[in-house]
Parts: sequence; structure tokens; C-alpha cells
Amino acid sequence: MSHTVEPVSLVAAGVVTPFGADLDAFWSGLITGSDGISMIERFPVDDLRVGRGGEIKKLRALPAARRVGCRASQLLLAAAEDLLARSPISAEPARVAVVLGTALGGVGELERAMAPGGRARHAAGALYDSPAHALAHRLDARGPVLTVGAACAAGATALGHGADLLRADVVDVVVAGGYDALCRFVMRGFDALRSLTRERVRPFDRRRSGLLLGEAAALVIMTREGATRGPRLGRLLGHASASDGSHIAAPDANGRGLELAARQALEEAGLTAADVDFVSAHGTGTPLNDRIEADVLKRVLGRRASDIPVNSIKAAVGHTMGAAAALEAVMCLLAGREGVVPYTLGLEEPDPACELDLVMATPRAARPRISLSTSLGFGGCNAALVLEARDS
Amino acid sequence: MIAGTTVDAVSVLTGWGAGVRALPASAATAAAGRTVIALGRPELEGERFRRATRECLLGVAAVDALLRDNGISREVIKGSETALIYVTGGAYGASNRAWVAADTVRPAMAGTLHFPYTAPSVMSGEVAIEFGLTGPYGILIGGAAATIDGLWQATRLLESGRCERALVLAVETFEDCAELFARGRWLVGRPLVEAAVCALLVPGALRTRYDAPRVPSALETLARTRAGETLACGPLIALALGREDGAVGSIGVTGEWRGRRAGLYWH
Repeated sequence: MSHTVEPVSLVAAGVVTPFGADLDAFWSGLITGSDGISMIERFPVDDLRVGRGGEIKKLRALPAARRVGCRASQLLLAAAEDLLARSPISAEPARVAVVLGTALGGVGELERAMAPGGRARHAAGALYDSPAHALAHRLDARGPVLTVGAACAAGATALGHGADLLRADVVDVVVAGGYDALCRFVMRGFDALRSLTRERVRPFDRRRSGLLLGEAAALVIMTREGATRGPRLGRLLGHASASDGSHIAAPDANGRGLELAARQALEEAGLTAADVDFVSAHGTGTPLNDRIEADVLKRVLGRRASDIPVNSIKAAVGHTMGAAAALEAVMCLLAGREGVVPYTLGLEEPDPACELDLVMATPRAARPRISLSTSLGFGGCNAALVLEARDS
Repeated sequence: MIAGTTVDAVSVLTGWGAGVRALPASAATAAAGRTVIALGRPELEGERFRRATRECLLGVAAVDALLRDNGISREVIKGSETALIYVTGGAYGASNRAWVAADTVRPAMAGTLHFPYTAPSVMSGEVAIEFGLTGPYGILIGGAAATIDGLWQATRLLESGRCERALVLAVETFEDCAELFARGRWLVGRPLVEAAVCALLVPGALRTRYDAPRVPSALETLARTRAGETLACGPLIALALGREDGAVGSIGVTGEWRGRRAGLYWH
């Protein structure tokens, strides 16, 4: 049965990343091989095994009226500033939705709420959907405000939900994406899991030893295909999610959920592996994830697996959790627009078990039109996006 | 593409008991001044459940009740043809609070087994593991309005042929974070009632309409009056109440959260 759906336009993007406060800084950081990883300074990490991550050192000062206490909301508002500088939102407020993915929401506020003298606003801010409502308030978006809690796959699922709202004519514009802020809560958690590497992140490298976390927000304006005026970044052609049903914190050993998500996203796009020009892998740099993901890509892409460029940007900005998939989707579209694919920082000795056409050492001159982006998260969440870059 | 969908079954577990018949006529009166009506930790068999959090077990118990009460075998829902949509406003609060407390007071207790359970996705993950669900999923965070979106997502997945059935599961716990919830002024004055509710949606003849009504539906009001404040569980309890009243065909539910109300109508 064919499940092909109407493509949705991705009009513009706005981001804030460890590289800087906008899309240009993000892109130039990726292309020049910048390293966004540093010692974390905003909260204590002295007692942790690893105290490094992709921390955003400086946020653009926002007008007083837009200041909010929560770090996650601040990241979102900063990304929104970048977004709105690139494209206005042209729709009635009631016809504008906000759909955001996150792994942590406003949990940084929980630490403040539980501290002596913690206030009511901190408790309310600790709810995972609080930052999405702060962004909706800033944008005067009065349509649905959805928070997708699919951990590190949430950004992809948010774009998929956003597309569904447009296709069903529930709204005219969706501001979708993902975010997460670094905080003691999550650093302590991944430290306890021994998932953080003491050296550099090396996706798909034989010496890979773990991930480093990062913080970011990435937003896109989505509209129905026919409603798009002027230039656009590209189109979302397909999205799918699938549950592993096998482990709460590790990917399925055979990657069954990820494979199903990738295949169904291609099916929804009306495409096959033969159409894929580029793969943005989840590529965390953990031994298990990268091997399983490489196996899944080999199965999904078949004979073309060794011909399709694959990268991971997580060594450059850290694993930005709820923001990761949205950030990587934006990267796919920029690669198509600019005619160059960022390379996988930290990858020097490809693991033979991850035999793919990995982009390493230098950016690759290529203009991918169709990209497949894959994501995994806690709870056995898997998601895939199929994106088409703007016609050059 | 299928013609439409229908709500095939709903299971309800609340602090008042199992099923909608356990709901009092007035939650406010029955609460007798209590601010939280708690739902105990389900006693489920299995080594894996020993470490799982109460909210995870409540999710499993709600699905289990749905299957048991409607004579559906686990084999029917197992596999990639069942979608799981999980919604909660704050059931992750207990594990998050415990993690912060452990890190603050007794860092040695903040171990590898605790942290993954702070993720809302792990609650639905435990349900997926227990019942072997490997199909599409959705995890929405928010109150009753998010559940309306979750129900709508389920109908979209069914109508597009992505799955043969969809479980929409909502879980809310309050007891462990009672003092934090008490600070939320918009919740004061209602008994917070813990709940775990699951609806089974299947292909059917009814089309759905999603909108943003200004006023609550009669079922929303009834569910809040009888069950109390159950956040994301509210619309599913409303569905159960509507079905109890004989509305197995056309039915509409609404839900509000943070000043936004959404509605979904089968007709």
C-alpha cells in the first residue's frame, strides 16, 4: 500500500548552537571544522568524570520584555530571533502552531524549584512543555502548542507532527523544531551511565568511546506547499517513527525500529534508496549506536550504501538531544543549498564494522537533493526524515 | 486509505478505583479536602518491573486492563501494526524530582538505573517492551489538550494505513510532587487525581474533525466533575464516560491546558 503524502515546505530556519547565535555561524562552524566543545562553565561539573560539552557561552541579549528565566526558553527565543530575521510569519495567530521536540523541557528549573526558596514559577517552568508555551507567547501563536517528548529523536517527530497539522489544514503555519539546554540534571545522568567520553567524540571511528552532550535550539517555519511565497530552504517529504520495544536506554541490537522508521519515511516520500543523495546519521560516537546504525543504513540503502555520503555533526556541537534531529535536518537543507557536505569531525580511522561512504577529513563538494536523516532516543524511540533541498 | 476510525475500548484506572463506575458523582466532595487522590503502585510480576517506576507500571497496568476487560490477547497488539501514543502532563515529575534529590542529597544513590527513568519516553518504552509494540509511536507532553492531539495523531496513523490499531495511553501521578504541584495556582482548588487510562482505536466508519472550541464539551465537564483534575487523562476518561452512557458511535471530546482547548469529534 502506498502511503505517499503531500510534501510540506520548509521556508526558513533559525538556530542557536555552540558555534554562535545564528544559522550563518552554525554553517560556517560545520564547514570550517570548528570544535564547539569546551569545559562547561554554567554549573558545577567538578565531581563528574566528564565536564565538557557543547555549551553556548554567550546568548544574544533579548529585549527586556522577552526575557525569561528558563535557559531552555532563552535558547528557543534566541533561535526565534534568528528565524524571524530571515522570514516573517504570515498567518492569523490562531492559524499558527508551535511543535517542539525536547528531551528535557524546562527541567533545569526543577533544580531551582527544589532549592531552598524555590518559587512557584520555577515549579511551573520545570514542566517539559513550558518552553514551547514561552515560544508560542513570543510568536503570538495561538494555534496548537505541542511538545514532543521522544527524547533524542523528538526533533524529527516534531517536524513530522507539524507537517501533519498542515496537511490536515488545522493551521497555515507551523514553527517546528527542537531544543535542549545543558544542565546539571542531564550531565550527571549521562555521567552516571558512563556514556560520556573523556577524549573527543569520534562517530563511526574504530576508537570511538562515547558522546558529549551539547545544547542548542533549531526552528523551522513550515507551510503547505501551495502557500509558500518566495524562496524556501526545501521540503519535508516524509517522516516516520517506530518503537524498538526492546530496551529503555539502549538501541535494539538489530536496529529493527530504526530500519522500519527509515523505510516508512522513504515510502511516505514516495522514494526509494535509489533516490537518496545523502544521509545525516544520528552518529553519537558510542560503540553500540554507530555499529547498529551503520548496519541499518546498509540494509536500507542496499547496494548504494557505499556510494551515499554519510556524516554526523555530533562531534562538532555535541549531542544536542531534543535539538539534534531538527539541527541535522537544517544541515541537510543547507548542504543541498550550498553544494557542500560538512565532514564528520573526530572521524579519522573508520571502523570496518561501520563501512559506509563516511564524509571525513574535509567537507565534500556535493549538492544533495534528497537527504535521509535518522534519530534514536531513550525508550526505544526511532525517527527518520526525508528532506529535499531547494532547487538550486 | 481507510474510511475512518472508531474508539473500540477504554480502560480507566484512577485514585478512585478501576473503571468509570468507581468515579464519585463529585470528585470535589469525595475528596473531602484531600488535594491528591493517589493510585498505588501496581503489583506486576516480573523481574524487570522491580526497578521500574510507579508511573511506568501504571502505564502497563492500564494497557493490561484494556486487554483483560475486553478479551483481547497480547498477541493481537504485539508487533509493528500497533501504534502507541503516550501523553502526560507531569508523570515524569516523580522520577525527575527523585533524580535531583539524589544528586543533591545523596549523589551515590544517583545511579545508572535511575537516570533513564527520568525521560518521559521511557514510560512508553516500558509499555512497548512489555507488550512487544514496535509500530509507530508518539509522545506528547502536556495536559488534556495534548491528549486531544494524541487522539488525533492516532486517527491519522490509522487513516493513512500506518497501523491496524492504536493505543492512546495517558498517565498522571501527583503524589510524589504534591508540594510542587500545589504551587501551580491554576491547579489549586481541584483534587489532583492520579490516573492511568488507555483507549484502543481501530479502523471504523467514523470521520474525525479536529478543532479549537472555546468552551468545554459536556463530557469534559462531566469528567472533571466526577474524576477531578487528571490532566492528560481527562479526555480519555471523558471518552469512557461517553461510552458508558451509550455513545459508542458519534462522540466528541475536548480538553484544555494552559488556556488552549482542543476538540476531536467522531461523526
